[in-house]
Amino acid sequence: MNNNFTFTGSQRTLTFALMAIGLLALLFGVFTSPEGTHQARVWSNILHNTAFFMGIAFISTFLIACKISAYSGWHTNFKRILEAFSMFLPIGLLLVLIIVAGLWTGSHHLYHWAADGITDPNSANYDSIIDGKSKLLNPIMYTVGTLGIIGLWTFFAFKFRSLSVSEDKDDHGVGKHEGSSYWRSSKVWAAIFLPVGGFLSPFVILWLIMSIDSHWYSTMFFWYTSASWLVTAVAFTILFIIYLKSLGHLQQVSDEHLHDLGKYLFGFSVFWTYLWFSQFMLIWYANVGEETIYFHTRTRQFPVLFYGNLIMNFALPFLILVANSTKRMYGIMTFMAVLLIFGHWIDFFQMIKPGVYEGLHHHSHDHGDGHGSIIDLDGKPVNVSKYQKDGEPVLVQNDHGHDHKDGKTHNHDHDHGDGKAHNHDHGDGHHHAGDGHDHEGKDAHGHDHGAHDAHGKDKGHDHGHGEHAAHGHDDGHHGGGHGDHGAGGFEMGYHLPGFIEIGMFLGFLGLFLYVVFTALSRASLIPVNDTYHDESTHHHV
Amino acid sequence: MSAVVAKVRKPLIEGYKTYHDITEDICSPTEKVPNIWWIVGMVASLSLLAFGGFCLLYTIWFGIGTWNLNRTIGWGWDITNFVWWIGIGHAGTLISAILLLFRQKWRTGVNRAAEAMTIFAVICAAMFPGIHTGRPWFDWFMFPYPNTRGPLWVNFNSPLLWDLFAISTYFTVSLLFWYTGLVPDLATLRDRSTGMRKKIYNFFSFGWTGAAKHWQRWESLSLILAGLATPLVLSVHTIVSFDFATSVIPGWHTTIFPPYFVAGAIFSGFAMVLTLMLITRKVLKLEEYITLEHIESMNKIILLTGTIVGVAYLTELFIAWYSGYVYEQFAFYNRALGPYWWSYFAMMSCNVLSPQFFWFKKIRRSIVWTFVLSIVVNIGMWFERFVIIATTLARDYLPSSWSYYSPTWVEVGVYILTFGLFMTLFLIFCRVAPVIAVAEVKSILKSSGDQYVGPNAKEHHHDDHHQDETIAAKVDDVAEDTTYSSSSGVSAETDTQTETEEVVVAPPSAKDDLKKVEGIGPKIEGLLNDAGIYTWRQLANTKVEFIKEVLDKAGPRYRIHDPGTWPKQAEMAADGLWDELKKWQDELDGGK
Repeated sequence: MNNNFTFTGSQRTLTFALMAIGLLALLFGVFTSPEGTHQARVWSNILHNTAFFMGIAFISTFLIACKISAYSGWHTNFKRILEAFSMFLPIGLLLVLIIVAGLWTGSHHLYHWAADGITDPNSANYDSIIDGKSKLLNPIMYTVGTLGIIGLWTFFAFKFRSLSVSEDKDDHGVGKHEGSSYWRSSKVWAAIFLPVGGFLSPFVILWLIMSIDSHWYSTMFFWYTSASWLVTAVAFTILFIIYLKSLGHLQQVSDEHLHDLGKYLFGFSVFWTYLWFSQFMLIWYANVGEETIYFHTRTRQFPVLFYGNLIMNFALPFLILVANSTKRMYGIMTFMAVLLIFGHWIDFFQMIKPGVYEGLHHHSHDHGDGHGSIIDLDGKPVNVSKYQKDGEPVLVQNDHGHDHKDGKTHNHDHDHGDGKAHNHDHGDGHHHAGDGHDHEGKDAHGHDHGAHDAHGKDKGHDHGHGEHAAHGHDDGHHGGGHGDHGAGGFEMGYHLPGFIEIGMFLGFLGLFLYVVFTALSRASLIPVNDTYHDESTHHHV
Repeated sequence: MSAVVAKVRKPLIEGYKTYHDITEDICSPTEKVPNIWWIVGMVASLSLLAFGGFCLLYTIWFGIGTWNLNRTIGWGWDITNFVWWIGIGHAGTLISAILLLFRQKWRTGVNRAAEAMTIFAVICAAMFPGIHTGRPWFDWFMFPYPNTRGPLWVNFNSPLLWDLFAISTYFTVSLLFWYTGLVPDLATLRDRSTGMRKKIYNFFSFGWTGAAKHWQRWESLSLILAGLATPLVLSVHTIVSFDFATSVIPGWHTTIFPPYFVAGAIFSGFAMVLTLMLITRKVLKLEEYITLEHIESMNKIILLTGTIVGVAYLTELFIAWYSGYVYEQFAFYNRALGPYWWSYFAMMSCNVLSPQFFWFKKIRRSIVWTFVLSIVVNIGMWFERFVIIATTLARDYLPSSWSYYSPTWVEVGVYILTFGLFMTLFLIFCRVAPVIAVAEVKSILKSSGDQYVGPNAKEHHHDDHHQDETIAAKVDDVAEDTTYSSSSGVSAETDTQTETEEVVVAPPSAKDDLKKVEGIGPKIEGLLNDAGIYTWRQLANTKVEFIKEVLDKAGPRYRIHDPGTWPKQAEMAADGLWDELKKWQDELDGGK
């Protein structure tokens, strides 16, 4: 039985080919980028993939610590795969360093809080809400925080890895009731890492992702994001097991292990959905304008992402994996793993891109629109209740009677006094349209195929609110000259991943695979001296 | 269940128990006259119940006005108590369902009692919405059904109504789960009893015979119920959290509520399991089934969930600052520094700081510490709900209506009522059903008994290869064993069978297996060996008084055994009169 994995030439070629595709996509993106966008598309792709793959490495480290702390035995024969994922953390650190460098050099404008004069009360750019967060959202905190925390995680990842690998060469713990010294030591480190990971991950998630929508906040967001990573890490584990088995490795990993990983995939997908629903439900129900705007943007302007996310990450895994038999079929499990990796990549896409897209339009149309105004689905700035205008709270209230009906209220503020608010009330039509989700989703599918001529049809679907929709689209907000869309504008790379996004994803994937293969080749695949090795080999037997 | 057990795993059943010992130890408390502590507990519970019942009648007679609720703070102790009890119920479902799905063996020591606790806690909780209406004869208003009330339907938009559905579903599934687990054990009790008692247990055990088909169905039903109960655990407390996140005050909520409420519920539930089981194991002498390993595992869960709750509290505070949303900030300012600062302080110290003691292994394995902290945790979890409700309501959008609230003796009394009810039900439960799941403990004996795993395991099991085979074979026997026990209706026969296997497993040696004698287990065998008695013949020639002396010296655990028939039995064994011995043993019960 072959217990050692060799990183062969053809695998190397594959990973380098993927990386080359990524590089080409990146260069293509750089050279085709429209003027004045600060390479937002390419930069947001870098951020998106960094957050995605760094997060997989982090959650794998966290999972290792959980497994050690919980005396988990069954996973031992494939624990090297999780360890290999965790070895991507230092690369993730470097990738974050690139984003940090871009932040300092002003190469990207991903974060609205980093804009000039945003915390200067005398500047036209001044934003009191962002100013209130500036103790956290500033380049120094961002740099020290993200790099420091990910650096700390990297230390733990290496610690677990080295303890685990050292055990391979030293069998002093085998058959002992007290286990090996490596095992005992890793228990201590794991116990320390659990709170370190649990308390610090929210900050990294906040800086990297949540602060793109600089005004928006949700306490759930951090756990939600982590759950997304978790599903992805399990999906990658399944893929690697199936791949390594196909090469004749990991013979001690049986259908039982695959089945149990399938249960994880199912269970964590449901857990992810639970967190998704809880967050959405509470924001929708409470109807606080500051929070609902986040989902308003996504349901109206990014319906394919919004609903596609739920279909790929909840509906399909739920329906397919609920049966016992599917979790033991290699073909279906491979398909589900690939689907969920892509699905959660889309999940991160929809967390990041809409905010970047808004920021982009915000900057390029900054002619007197107040900060805090947000592009409505017609591309109109809608002033979200500026309750803090003069440092004095103004009660949030609904001005539009019909808004109450469907609970999709945006609190339009009629106070023109500050010269910032532009109220485009004819945008209201869309607040009626709570019942039009599906149709808008379908419309946007039309956009997938680049069918820009389908506008008339779009309006036809608009539940009799066509007259409202017709009000919009007159500002020419949307770059690329296609401003006249029933459900908002469409821009490849933001509303849907285009070739550049897919290409760059493949590039990052190549990098990830390269690191994982390298890590796998550096230690035996089956940790024979692990105290749980026998237990794992006889899992469910 | 994995037949191979890693060396580092600690045994979960101590005292070299045989299957018969397990039946005996767990079932006997239901068959004996209750001891003094049970009677004291019952008297105390009934007193609380009586006082609480009076307060309840007082509330209903004079109306909700006897409480201190006011226009601003319309929810006080009632919903606090309601959610507190619901939360406590969660540990039962977690232990029975989620830990079953995760194949955690230590659940078997505490799952039965925890599930019972779930049922009783939900009963206590369910009383509050009814009481809070003030006019219980209108409680049917809470239920939606086609009616002549015209447009007066329940409010389907309200999480309070969803709660009604969630909790009634949860109660139903928990009850089914608990009862399903009880059926084989009730059959065991039936087989050990006579007369009226036998008839009653016969009725409640649904004609369980222990046939293979019964066990197969029982196992699939358990898994299905576990699969149903797992999302229910989440849904119930999610909806409870919605009660607060959506209904306490308009415009205020935090999105992390659902998962953190679930974590908090499990946190308080485990604390309550510990409070109860630490007493129960002592009073019913179940220390060998609810071992320090069990206690340590539960303490780790308390540490974990307590810290999750801590992360959530800090996230809320942090996001309140971060949001820049003044209403959110004001709500949290009030919690920490408002008129109810003391309850926030109590919540933080009891829920976040106190479990941190469990980082220390010594404290995790200390009964006294565990007992004290388990109570502290539940005080903290009560305060959590109080903080969310009272402090938030006390300072609403209209400063002129700001108010302060403290309960009247009647409200406190109604809370005491639930304690009385809960304890009364639990004490009755201890009398009528095994507080530990007999069949489930038996199912882990071969993989977690201290004669098979751990440092004290018998020498011959150390040969790994051999161990694999024997244990694998024996795990299969577990189901069979109980099958015989129930179908024949005579437990003694089974135990002889099991012990015959022991002989097969045991290495050939000069000494006889004294355990063949009904009433002698491995520990007593050891005592007799120490006293120089190794063979049946020797035992047959020993005076009963001498054996009694040996047992008396060994301590109170052994003093209860009656060795009256042992020499006679040993003589039969020594003479090879197996059939007669077996027949006689069938008539004997536990050597008495």
